[in-house]
Amino acid sequence: MSRDTTGSTKPFHLTRRTFIQGSGLVAGGLALGVTVPLPARADSAATQAPTELNAFVHIAEDGATTLYCGRCEMGQGISTALPAAVADELEADWERVTVLQGDADEKYGPQATGGSRSINVMFTPMREAGAAARAMLVTAAAQRWGVDPSVCYAENHVIRNRENGRTLGYGDVAAAAAKLPVPDKPVLKTPDQFRYIGQPIPRHDMGEVVVGTRTYGADTRLPGMKFGAIRHVPVLGGTVRSFDADEARAMPGVVDVIRIDPIDDGYSSLGGVAVVADTTWQAQQALDRVKVEFDAGPHAVYNSPAYKKELVRRVEASAEPVHTRGNLEGAFEAADKRFAATYVGGHLSHSPMEPMASTVWVRDDGCEVWASTQDPAGIQRTVGKFLGIDKNDVTVHVMMAGGAFGRKFKCDYVHEAAALSKAVGAPVNLTWSREEDTKTGFYHSVSAQHIEASLDEEGNVTGWLHRAAFPSIASTFNPSVDRPSEGDLEALANHPYGIVNLQVESGLAPAHTRIGWYRAVYAIFYGFAINAFTDELAEKAGQDPLEFYRRIYRNNTNPEQKEQVERSLAVLELAAEKGGWGKDLPEGHGLGIAVHHSFESYVAMVVHAEVDGDDIRVHRVDCAVDCGLVLNPDQATAQMEGAVIMGMSLALYTEVSFRDGEVVNSNFHDYPVLRANEAPPEIHVHFTNTDATPTGLGEPGVPTFAPALANAIRAAGGPRHRSLPIKPTTV
Amino acid sequence: MPSTLRINGKDHDIDVDDNMPLLYVLRDVLQYTGTKFGCGRGLCGACTVHLDGQATRSCLLPVSAAAGREITTIEGLSDDGTHPLQLAWIEHRVPQCGYCQAGQIMNAASLLRGNPSPSDEEIDDAMQGNICRCGTYNRIKKAIRSVATATTEA
Repeated sequence: MSRDTTGSTKPFHLTRRTFIQGSGLVAGGLALGVTVPLPARADSAATQAPTELNAFVHIAEDGATTLYCGRCEMGQGISTALPAAVADELEADWERVTVLQGDADEKYGPQATGGSRSINVMFTPMREAGAAARAMLVTAAAQRWGVDPSVCYAENHVIRNRENGRTLGYGDVAAAAAKLPVPDKPVLKTPDQFRYIGQPIPRHDMGEVVVGTRTYGADTRLPGMKFGAIRHVPVLGGTVRSFDADEARAMPGVVDVIRIDPIDDGYSSLGGVAVVADTTWQAQQALDRVKVEFDAGPHAVYNSPAYKKELVRRVEASAEPVHTRGNLEGAFEAADKRFAATYVGGHLSHSPMEPMASTVWVRDDGCEVWASTQDPAGIQRTVGKFLGIDKNDVTVHVMMAGGAFGRKFKCDYVHEAAALSKAVGAPVNLTWSREEDTKTGFYHSVSAQHIEASLDEEGNVTGWLHRAAFPSIASTFNPSVDRPSEGDLEALANHPYGIVNLQVESGLAPAHTRIGWYRAVYAIFYGFAINAFTDELAEKAGQDPLEFYRRIYRNNTNPEQKEQVERSLAVLELAAEKGGWGKDLPEGHGLGIAVHHSFESYVAMVVHAEVDGDDIRVHRVDCAVDCGLVLNPDQATAQMEGAVIMGMSLALYTEVSFRDGEVVNSNFHDYPVLRANEAPPEIHVHFTNTDATPTGLGEPGVPTFAPALANAIRAAGGPRHRSLPIKPTTV
Repeated sequence: MPSTLRINGKDHDIDVDDNMPLLYVLRDVLQYTGTKFGCGRGLCGACTVHLDGQATRSCLLPVSAAAGREITTIEGLSDDGTHPLQLAWIEHRVPQCGYCQAGQIMNAASLLRGNPSPSDEEIDDAMQGNICRCGTYNRIKKAIRSVATATTEA
């Protein structure tokens, strides 16, 4: 499984086959579409047999409408945004809509949720699903009345006959509609007809969240279930040499002590020893008494502080050129000024508030999984491989994820729960301890980047050398990968600066731990280095940073990048205007600006910081966003607010360090994240809100915060920070 | 040891190790899963419940220390989800993933019980023990302030 980290998208088209798979009989009425196994939980529409108009739209005979979300919800709001698009085209009354999460099933299209792609990939198919269902309901009503469908229209859960004013409810005609052919090209609304798209519709599940009934991967409870606790092999590639579980086995509530070995799969468990018991606490207590001897393996050499220095050394010397254009040497020779700087970042742990968690029940007839996940199909593949069964015999119920940030794409924790369930013959919930979550993750890459640029007399950037060294995500799937690939570095070559004379080089960086996708991925350190360096260049050129940014972008005359340049400039100007760029500030205060294009969206931030010795406070953030059409302004704003907080965590505090191959951090005391009292009191989010194709927002907000803060600290009279985090924790 | 826990006004007979933290009794024995595990060390606040109305980290509290006292979890903060903070959380659209929010709400309810109109600094102080990785802090504070103000005006 690969996930594109550059943000390019392959559109998902609902073919007739995936959209509607023939007609069939379901209990209580005729329906088109595949028979959908309803989730084993109470369905608000269960009083009436639901009629399936397509995979995403079910309408019961009383009109109660269930819309399925095929993408995974982890707090980004997708389970409201996509169903709202369906409901809009369906002309459904949102008050009569219940949203349910779809199980793993190809009929929903690609469910793997990452790369900020749900909106890009699914917005149009979701509208088509709603519009097709609406057309079928209209046709069914017209047939009932014996009139031409053109005289009928749908409005707010009712079909109206224009000629005589008669009406039929959606529930009245749903069964008949389900028997009709599916329109090939359903007519979509024009934007002026939208009723939910573009509106700040509240999340569909907030009522459950505030009373504690929203169920997450950690929350599944089944009769006869057991609970697990696990201690992993602490070093990548290490093994369990031996373990003595006699004392643990004798403890109250303990069912078994089980060794878990890795399998040949990119999402495999690291391996370790686990206890299954009647409760999680008993399992943890017993696990503490298991005496385990590990063989550390070759990565026991890994010490991340020394490794970072090594990466710096590699990018400050010649590396392997992967993208070259123009005449960099010539530009450097003709330069009025040349300037170079090196930027460094540490490993990050996602640390969602819900650690890795799932419940698995392995039975003779297959396997059932309840998991917080971003990739249900990945679970089917990995668990199917582990159990030696067909992936379709692995049923995956996609649970609400208590945060994920890229980590829950990898299903090592589900593999482990499956191993435990298989061993004890009962359903097992495995929720990792925070220590295991911190110590055995798939980490954001440690990185070093060296940039050298030339300026002419007017302060135009004439050449740009960018060397980057970081362990690639590809190394997790192919250990022979030992440096960033051409694809990994493409975002540097394609950056909308479009510097004419450019070279991008890849530095050697073999991985010594599992590298994963962390919210915004490589854009975190690319965004930091490019923006921090731009601010330094502006200083060298004696120019105001905003003016310097304008100059760089306007100098890009490549017609293929016209749109990128215009949209980058638009958010830059909007952030500058709203953030009061150039205003007078008290001593010790400063404004910093940054802009970055990632995952098809454009974000700029102005950060207002105050620096007093080591004390850094952020008073205000103005965030300007171009994600095309904004589907839900409130949820889009929330994503940016969250990106600022996560950006501030990684700018100031978060770093995972390794000693002798093991992670030294363990919990929130030595992996501190931003807390409520440190949050910027004012975060203002501004949208250009164009009618361009909507693009995702889960990630693009993260990359701009850290450089805007670093630039603000400098403007406030503080030092230049080229290494993140600014305030590392000593462990 | 067999004992009785009073949770959300209902008595539950249990028979578990006295040292088992209340969190695991709630979640794994009695299936009150609204209270969440976050860190197991009292560092994040996800497991916050009320003990006689006071916010308490249930991941560290031995169940024996909770016996004979009034335990309130998110499921029992109100009968029907209409505690002013629950309503404010919806009005201000606080939750993203929502996992930490039970702990946030329980902590805020305890704060307002002792101090019905806290200053911004007092809110910061009281809420800094509850981590949210999605970054909903400003909405949390806005929701608390809205209830605090309403209380002051009443």
